[in-house]
Amino acid sequence: MIDPNWLAPFRHFTSHSPDETLDFGRRLARALPRPALLILTGDLGAGKTILAKGIAEGLGVASAEDVASPSYTLVHEYRSAADTLYHLDLYRLEQNEQLATLGLEDILPGGVAQGSVVVVEWGAKFPLFARLPRIVVALTATGDSTRSIAAAFEEGRE
Amino acid sequence: MNAVSALILGIETSCDETAAAVVGGGARLLSNVVLSQVPVHRIYGGIVPELASREHLRGIVPIVRQALEQAACELPQVAAIAATRGPGLVGALLVGLTYAKALARAAGKPLIAVHHLEGHIHAVLLDRRNQGLPEPPFPAVALVVSGGHTSLYWVEREDQRFRYELLGKTRDDAAGEAGDKVAKMLGLGYPGGPVIDRLAPAGDEHAVRFTRPKLKGNPLDFSFSGLKTAVLRHVETHAMAAGIAARRAALGAGAPDVEKLRALCDQPTLDLIASFQYAVAAELADKTLAAAEQRNAASVLLTGGVAANRRLRRELDEAGRARGFEVFAPPIRLCTDNAAMIAAAAWPHFLAGDFAGPEVSAEAQWALA
Repeated sequence: MIDPNWLAPFRHFTSHSPDETLDFGRRLARALPRPALLILTGDLGAGKTILAKGIAEGLGVASAEDVASPSYTLVHEYRSAADTLYHLDLYRLEQNEQLATLGLEDILPGGVAQGSVVVVEWGAKFPLFARLPRIVVALTATGDSTRSIAAAFEEGRE
Repeated sequence: MNAVSALILGIETSCDETAAAVVGGGARLLSNVVLSQVPVHRIYGGIVPELASREHLRGIVPIVRQALEQAACELPQVAAIAATRGPGLVGALLVGLTYAKALARAAGKPLIAVHHLEGHIHAVLLDRRNQGLPEPPFPAVALVVSGGHTSLYWVEREDQRFRYELLGKTRDDAAGEAGDKVAKMLGLGYPGGPVIDRLAPAGDEHAVRFTRPKLKGNPLDFSFSGLKTAVLRHVETHAMAAGIAARRAALGAGAPDVEKLRALCDQPTLDLIASFQYAVAAELADKTLAAAEQRNAASVLLTGGVAANRRLRRELDEAGRARGFEVFAPPIRLCTDNAAMIAAAAWPHFLAGDFAGPEVSAEAQWALA
């Protein structure tokens, strides 16, 4: 799998603070093509929601403090004149069928919302996403406030 | 029919409870029926939207019928039908709102679309009026805290009109969500909040010191993500894995057996649970009272599902009294999601003739202010 050129600066990054993770998200968002599907992986507390906040700021759809965890409502949508961000948190979901009523087919690449960016937390467990070309951003806690962040492109497979 | 005694049928399906209630004049609680889907969701460790919608569909007709029967009234006697419009799970909201629209149309009644959090705030007023007690004085600071929300509102009142201003909100996890995630992490099952509430008194709440979040920007915003992470780090560094595995194994498909769980918690685990609960309660109480002082509030309201937490109620009540604020919190059955609060919140809208048309849509994300 070959990473596209634009992804090169984001392949490996060491964040020393939530602010640096936020800033990584901002820069990543500005480099993203449209549509884009991002799968964020990492344990509880790894910084997935912080990264999503940075992405929202980078896209100019919301300020970091307005992007909260969508664990209960599952999907939050943020819009600017130019962009739409869908922020999903599937922590509570366990089975692929449970995704069925979320209307994801409309927002995922290939669906009706062509230009959108979709960021998914706790999404790696669902085969639905593995079918689609996606950017997997893995966050790993390497210390109290340091995080290793690795972004890679993955092809969709049928 | 006069306006003073007009009956409102309320319907609430924003998350995992199917609820209907009849309230007279925003004051008389005539029925309050709640069908919880917790047993259905427990096996999944959370709220599953597909199940939520299906269970709401199954429950809505009998629950509304039961609410009318318990209130000893029939649909023609109801003055208006109120339903939660948002925020919440869109599939779940649609069931209640669509049913309310259909009932309103069939019975020729006005429809009132209610904000879920306005409902929680009006649960406080409903409880006081229903008991014949004086209403909380306004303007008030209201802390609405639940699994999906942690928000501070400034509530002004002019006769029967209410105006809301958002003073602060969570930047990441809602307080109830943090509790659920910590409970799941510690092998305490779902829903985690009530189990934490019941286990915490057996622990020393000062045993583990968690640092308070320092936030840039609005000092009245909340953050619980760091606390959740701190609990995770504590678990990882304190040899708690065996106990967690034992508790997970002991959890059946039914309601968590708190006594059994307690027997499977060593003292350090109970201390951690108590310390976590105290950290949440202290953070919520401190910011709520800081807001009340800043704005010179006449009272403080505590409502929402997490307002059922006994430690939070005690903390806010004691700290509030020490700082000169009376704190009003509804009883637990009106804290957790219910439809009586929706019927009560609809009352001022009814008086103002603020009705919704048949085109009104469910709003998964909808700001109160």
